[in-house]
Amino acid sequence: MIKDIRITEEPKKTMSMNPKRFLLWMFMVSIVMIFASLTSAYIVRQAEGNWLTFELPQLLWYSTVILLLSSLTAQLAYRAAKQDNLATLKTTLGLTVILGVSFLITQLYSWGVLIDNHVYFVGNPSGSFLYVLMGVHGFHLLSGLVYLLIVLTQSFTYKVHSKNLLHLSLSVSYWHFLDVLWIYLFVFLLLNH
Amino acid sequence: MNQILLGAGIVLLVLIIGLLYKISIMVGVARGKKEGPESRSNTVNGVFMLLFLVIFGAMGWISAYLYFDDYNIPVASAHGSVTDTLFWWTMGITGFAFVVTQVLLFYFSFKYRYRKEARATYYPDNSKLEIIWTVVPAVVLTLLVFYGLNVWTDITSQAPEDAEVVEIMGMQFAWKTRYPGADNQLGNYDYRKIDAANMFGMDLTDKNSFDDFMPREIHIPKGKPVLFKIRARDVLHSVYVPYFRLKMDAVPGMPTKFWFVPTKSTADMREETGNPDFNYELACAEICGNGHFTMRMTIVVDEPADYEKWKKEQKSWLSKNPEYMSQVPAALKEVALISSGIDTEAGKITEASF
Amino acid sequence: METADLHIAEEHANEAHEHHEQGFVAKYIFSQDHKIIAKQFLITGILWAVIGGLLSVFFRLQLGFPDMSMEWLRPLLGGWITPTGQLDTEFYLAMVTMHGTIMVFFVLTAGLSGTFSNFLIPLQIGARDMASGFMNMLSYWFFFLSSVIMFISFFISTGPASGGWVIYPPLSALPQAMSGSGLGMTLWLVSMALFIVSTLLGGINYITTVINLRTDGMSFDKLPLTIWAFFLTAIIGLLSFPVLLSAALLLILDRSFGTSFYLSEIYIGGEALPNLGGSPILFQHLFWFLGHPEVYIVLLPSLGITSEIISTNSRKPIFGYKAMIGSMIGIGFLSFIVWAHHMFVTGMNPFLGSIFMLLTLIIAIPSAIKVFNYITTLWKGNIVFTPAMLFSIGLVSFFISGGLTGIFLGNSALDIQLHDTYFVVAHFHLVMGSAAFFGMLAGVYHWFPKMFGRMMDAKLGYVHFWFTFIGIYLIFFPMHYIGIAGFPRRYYSFTNFDAFSTFTDLNAFISIAAVLTFVAQFIFLFNFFYSIFRGRKAPANPWNSNTLEWTTPINPGHGNWPGEIPKVYRWPYDYSKPVNEEYAGKMSEEELANMPDFIPQTVPYSETPETNLPHENDLINLEVKDDEGAIVIDTKKEE
Repeated sequence: MIKDIRITEEPKKTMSMNPKRFLLWMFMVSIVMIFASLTSAYIVRQAEGNWLTFELPQLLWYSTVILLLSSLTAQLAYRAAKQDNLATLKTTLGLTVILGVSFLITQLYSWGVLIDNHVYFVGNPSGSFLYVLMGVHGFHLLSGLVYLLIVLTQSFTYKVHSKNLLHLSLSVSYWHFLDVLWIYLFVFLLLNH
Repeated sequence: MNQILLGAGIVLLVLIIGLLYKISIMVGVARGKKEGPESRSNTVNGVFMLLFLVIFGAMGWISAYLYFDDYNIPVASAHGSVTDTLFWWTMGITGFAFVVTQVLLFYFSFKYRYRKEARATYYPDNSKLEIIWTVVPAVVLTLLVFYGLNVWTDITSQAPEDAEVVEIMGMQFAWKTRYPGADNQLGNYDYRKIDAANMFGMDLTDKNSFDDFMPREIHIPKGKPVLFKIRARDVLHSVYVPYFRLKMDAVPGMPTKFWFVPTKSTADMREETGNPDFNYELACAEICGNGHFTMRMTIVVDEPADYEKWKKEQKSWLSKNPEYMSQVPAALKEVALISSGIDTEAGKITEASF
Repeated sequence: METADLHIAEEHANEAHEHHEQGFVAKYIFSQDHKIIAKQFLITGILWAVIGGLLSVFFRLQLGFPDMSMEWLRPLLGGWITPTGQLDTEFYLAMVTMHGTIMVFFVLTAGLSGTFSNFLIPLQIGARDMASGFMNMLSYWFFFLSSVIMFISFFISTGPASGGWVIYPPLSALPQAMSGSGLGMTLWLVSMALFIVSTLLGGINYITTVINLRTDGMSFDKLPLTIWAFFLTAIIGLLSFPVLLSAALLLILDRSFGTSFYLSEIYIGGEALPNLGGSPILFQHLFWFLGHPEVYIVLLPSLGITSEIISTNSRKPIFGYKAMIGSMIGIGFLSFIVWAHHMFVTGMNPFLGSIFMLLTLIIAIPSAIKVFNYITTLWKGNIVFTPAMLFSIGLVSFFISGGLTGIFLGNSALDIQLHDTYFVVAHFHLVMGSAAFFGMLAGVYHWFPKMFGRMMDAKLGYVHFWFTFIGIYLIFFPMHYIGIAGFPRRYYSFTNFDAFSTFTDLNAFISIAAVLTFVAQFIFLFNFFYSIFRGRKAPANPWNSNTLEWTTPINPGHGNWPGEIPKVYRWPYDYSKPVNEEYAGKMSEEELANMPDFIPQTVPYSETPETNLPHENDLINLEVKDDEGAIVIDTKKEE
C-alpha cells in the first residue's frame, strides 16, 4: 500500500513567464472561444439549409494584405525597440497604426460592397453572420489599436526601449494574434460562404 | 391550509427562538469547558448521523411504498412499456448504489467519530480498490447505455408508412390539431397566411389542404401507429402526454415529429383507473409564457372502428370556412369543392357566391 | 520564478507604499487585496442568496397552497398581486427565472468561486496576492454593476426577465410573447454580459496566479485539492463563458436589430414577423455549451473545498489524491462534450442524441470515483464534527442522491418522459444546487477564522446544519415522486389537468419544508454577522490543518506573510502519519501519544525522520541543498 504513494520532488522553480504576458494569453484564449463558438454556430446554422450564398467582396483580399503588412511593421517596431533604434520604432509603430486604421476602413468599404450586392445585416443569417464576424473582429482590432496608440505615445516620450519592452511586446503579440484571427476568419469564410 | 402554514411557521419560530435561548445558555455554561473534538457535541453529531440514516432511510422506504400508485402512473403506449422497464432497471441499479453509499457514508461518520485515544489510519491510496470502483460502474453503465441506446433508436426510428398522421401546433396558449382528411396528405402551410380563422396558415393553393380538418380534440386509434407532426407558430412549446411517455418540443420554423402506438383506449383507461371521467391530456412542457400551465387539449384513443367512424364524420375546414374559397386558384376550385365536401352540403349556392 | 517574484515584489512594494495614503475607500471598497475582494464577493453572494431564497419561498407558497391569499405580499410585490389576491401568473415565471439566474450565477458562481478562489488561491499556494490585483478588483466591480442592474430589473413596470434562466428564444426575444421579454430581458442580457466580463477577469487571474505564483516547492502534485478545483473551474469558465457571450450577442442582435439568428416563421400578436431562416435550436446549442460546464463551474469548487475539509477533519489523508485530481480533470473535460443531453427532445437529430447519451453517462464514472474516495477517506478516520465537516458530509450525501438521478436523465430514452418535470428539478437542486451550496457553507465555516480572525459559533452551526440538511431532503426527496408522476416544471398551478391533480398534500409538505429551511438560514446569517464582530478569537490553526494559509498571522495583512513566504516540502495531506519501521521500537509510549497527528506542508522531511517513508528519506538530501540557494534569493527580493 505504501509503495503506491509517489511524492516525487519536481523542479522547485515554477513557470517563469511574466504574469502580465500570461494574462494576455488567457485573454486571447477567451477571444478564441468567442470566435470558435460563432464560427461553429455558423456551420451548424448553415447545415440546416435555407442559406443564402453570395460572393465575398474582393476588398477583403486587400484588407487581408493590409493587415499582414501591419503585422510586419509591428514586428519591425519591436525589433527596432530591442536595438534601441528609437526613430525606426516610432515610424514603424506609427505605420502599424495607420495600416490598422486603413484595414478597418477597408472592412467598412467591403460592407458597403455587400450592401450594394443586396447582402444585408438584417436578412438571411448567412449575411448577418458575415457582418457579425467582421464586426466582432473589428471591435477587437479597435482595442488592439488603442493599445498600440498608447504604446506609440509612450514611445514619443522615450518610454519604450530595450529595457522597457513589456507593453510593446504585449501589444505586438496581441496585434499578431488579431492578424492570425482574421486570417482564420477569412479562410473560414472563403471555404464556407 | 393558510392556518396550517401559519401554525407551522409559528411553531418553528418558537422552536428556533427556544433553541437559540438554550444554546446561548449552554454556551455560557460551557465556557471554560473543553471546546473542539473532545466536547460532547462531537458524539452527539456522530449519533445524529446514524439516527438520520435510520429515520430517513425508513421514511424514504415508507413514502416510496405509500405513494407508489400515485407516482407509478399507468402507461398507455407500446414504447412506454419499454421505457418503463428501463426506468425500473435503472432504479434498481441506482437504488442499490444509493443505499450502499449512503449507508457507508453515515455509518462511517458515526463509527469513526473522534476518540481521544484513537489515531486515524494513514491510508492515502490503493490502486486495486480504485480500479475496482472505476471498472464496476463503467461496466454497469455500459450495460445501461446499450440498453438505453437500443430503446432510443427504436423510438426515434422512422414511422411506419401506414401511421395515422396528426399535426399538432402549439401557440400561446393552446394546442391546435389538423388531420390530413381523406387523401391522407396534409396540405402545405405558410406562416404568413395565418389569420384569425386560418390558424394553421393553410396554403389553399395546395390541393391536399382542401379536405384537411381541425377537430377540437385529438382522436387516435388504439393499437395502430400514430405519427404526431409537431410545430409551433410563435414560441417554443413541447407536446407532452404523460401516459404515452411522449414528449417532443414544438419549434417555430422547424417541424418535429414523434410516432408511437397507443395501447389503451380511453375507455380502457377509465376502467383501469376507476375514474369514469378519465381523459388523456396533452400538456405543454416548455416554458412559453404566462399561460404555460393552461395549455391543455384532450386526446381520445378510440377502438380502430370507432376512430374510422369519427374520422368520416369530420367536416373539412374549408367547408366550415367557405369564404376561403376565394384563395383557391381557379383551376382547382372544382377539386376543392368536391374534396372539401362543400359540394354535397351547400350545393351550388356557395359556388355561385364567389 | 525570478521574473514572477520580482514583479510581485515590485507591485507589492508599490502598493504598500500607496497604502499609507489610502483611507477607508481604498482599503475596503476599491481594494486590490485578494482577501478583501473575497469578502466582498462573499457578502454580495450572501445577499443574493437571501433574495434568491425568498423568491423560492414565494413561488413555493403558490405551488403548495394555490388557493392561499397572497394579499399580505402586496406591500412588497404591489401590482404583481392580482386584485383577487393571487400571484400574477407572469410574475410567477419571473420569480422562477430570477431564482435560477441568481442562484446559478450570482450565488454559486460569483459567491462561491469569487469568494474562495480569491481567498484561498494566494493563501494556499503561498503568494502575496493575485497576479493582477487591479484586474481582481475590476472583476468584483463588474460583478457589482451586474448585480445592481439585475436588481433594478425587479422594479421596472414590465417586470424582470421571465422566460426561464435558460432564456430560450423566441420567448426571450419577443416582447410580444411576454412582458418580461421587454426591458427586463434587456437588463438581464446587459447584466449577464457584465457578469461574464467579471468571471473572465477573475478566471484569467486565478489561472495565471496558480501557474506563475506558487511558492518554492509547491509543485502541482503538492497543491491542495481546493486549488486544483479552483484552477480547473477557472479553465472551464475561461473556455465556456465566452460562448455564452456570443450566444447573448446574437440574441441581442435578434432582439434589437432585426436579424434572424434564432427566429423563423413566427406569427405572434396578430402579425407574421419578417424573420426567416433562424434556428431556436442554435441558441440552445450555444447556451448549453456554456450551461453544462457551468454546472461544474458551480460544483467543482465545492468538491475541492470538501476534499480539503473532509481530509482535515477525518484526520486522514484524502484517499486517492491523484485519482481525485484525475476525476476532476475528467469531469472538466467531459463537461464540454455532453451539452446536448439538455436537448434530447428538441427535435435534434436522434443519432446525435445517442452520442450525447453515451458521453453523458461516462461522466458518472469520475463522479463515482469521487464518492467512493470520500467514503474511504472517512473509513477508519478520527472524525471531528466541525460545522464545516458536517456540511461536507452533507454535500457528499447530496452528490450521491442527485448524481444517481442523473443516470436516469442522461439516458435519452428515459429523458423523454422525465425531461422538464420535477424529477429534473429534484435532480439538479440536489446535485448542483444543494451540494454546491453546502460546499460554500462548509467553506465559510472552515475559513471564517482566517477571514475574520474570529470563530463562528459551533453549536449554532450544528443547529443550522441539521435544520438545513433535513430540510433540503424533505424538499427534494418527495419531489422525485412528483417528477416520476410526470408533473411539468414552471407550472403556476396544476389545477387545469386531471393528470396532475394528485400530490396536493406532498406539494404543500414540500412548501412547508422549503419555508422552514429558508427560515433556518437566519441562524447562519446571525452567526455569520455576529461572529464577525463578537465571535471568539481564533487561534492560529483552529482545525490543525496542514495547508499554508494557517501559517499566516491570524489576521494576515496585505501581502499575507510578514516575512518571507514559507516553502513547501510535502503534500497537504500528511494527517495521522504513522511512525515508520525504523523508529517504531525506539519511541516511548508517551512520545507516541504526544506526536501531533498532522504535519504542515512547511515542515521539511529532514525534521520528521520518524514518519518519513523510505523514498521520502531520499528527498532530505535534495532539500538542504535547494533550500540554501532559495532562501538567499528570496530574502534579497523581499527586502
